Amino acid sequence: MTDLIIMQLFTAFLGSLGFALLFQVRRERLLLASLGGFLAWGVYLLMGMATSQDVIRYFVASVVLTVYAEILARAVKCPATLFIVTASIPLIPGGSLYRTMQHFMQNDLDAFSRQGLTTVLLAVAIAVGMLFPTAIFQLLHRVRNR
Amino acid sequence: MEDTPFHFFSPDEINQLSRMEEADRANEYLYRVLDIGQHMLQCGGEVSRVEDSIRRLCLSFGAERADVFTITSSIVVTIYAHRFGAVTQTRRITGSAYDLRRLELLNQLSRRICAEHLNLEETEQALGKILATPQRGFGMQVLTYALISSSFSLFFGGSALDAAASGVIGIVLKCLDGLIRKTEANAFLSSLLCACLGGLLAGLAVRFHLGDNVDMISIGNIMLLIPGIALTNSLRDMFSGNTISGLMRFIEAVLLALTIAFGFALVAALI
Repeated sequence: MTDLIIMQLFTAFLGSLGFALLFQVRRERLLLASLGGFLAWGVYLLMGMATSQDVIRYFVASVVLTVYAEILARAVKCPATLFIVTASIPLIPGGSLYRTMQHFMQNDLDAFSRQGLTTVLLAVAIAVGMLFPTAIFQLLHRVRNR
Repeated sequence: MEDTPFHFFSPDEINQLSRMEEADRANEYLYRVLDIGQHMLQCGGEVSRVEDSIRRLCLSFGAERADVFTITSSIVVTIYAHRFGAVTQTRRITGSAYDLRRLELLNQLSRRICAEHLNLEETEQALGKILATPQRGFGMQVLTYALISSSFSLFFGGSALDAAASGVIGIVLKCLDGLIRKTEANAFLSSLLCACLGGLLAGLAVRFHLGDNVDMISIGNIMLLIPGIALTNSLRDMFSGNTISGLMRFIEAVLLALTIAFGFALVAALI
């Protein structure tokens, strides 16, 4: 169990690093971008102790990674998108999306609708989790500029 | 005959001419602004960021009002100022691929333009320089595909052998992708071919004992192909009020995912 956790944290880091390289992130930002993936999956795993609801775990992980991204964006002066995209890689429900379509191909419509709903819910959890911190940071920015 | 001095143009006409001249200049500026917006959108900028940047750029170039409407495939901008009237330009956007370094540079450029009021030539030069910065080479991209494939194979619980197989298949897929890209084929066709080849190689790897589990090998390659980021971003777009962009991206992501699942299923049924 702990083996799998360590392996997942490590590969979450590597996966984020891979996508950061693929998306042409500058070398100076690679470490910070990949650490975001590590952080996001770490929060997801930690939340597992508090709740077994995947949607809530994804939501909290997404909030934390966006706060991380927004803080870094201001610290190193670059768009927050850069860190949001790379850090959210381990959370992205790609596997779930694939399984949904697999059920569709196998003509298993019950499993398709169940898995499809899960995929969309997870994506909604991540997307909404990203909205709140961004909105709050924008509000703070506006208040400070006044 | 009146003895007023001869004027080629009446004052009204002169006024109109200067307005036309101003409108020409405004058109030139707007064209550059749209260039910046287009590249931002193409390298992965969010719709709201692109709209905001275009509006700020137009205002800094002297427009009194700027109305920007952006969706993932098009930008429409109308600017108005008393001295040149209303000027409108539209831009069709095709094809996009994440390039976060370029996005960062474009963001910096648009801030610089607003702060330092660069003129037309300076803007053009700076933009040209950004577009000329080289991307990572093909060799590096191949290694990146291998890294991502192996990582996600392990992430989802595959064995070391699965990860190695997945990494090698990732390299093959990148080469295939590079070949297909040269022919400028349809995006769905390219994904379908990659999925078929990925499924085939994963099946063969297990048959020849170069891997333990077809699903664990494939998941690494699937993470490369599947539009998970697009799906999440589409919902983000919709929640931030860009419903049309979000819906377009959502449907695109679902269709692409279907295509990929179809590719893997097709090959699995054959071998």
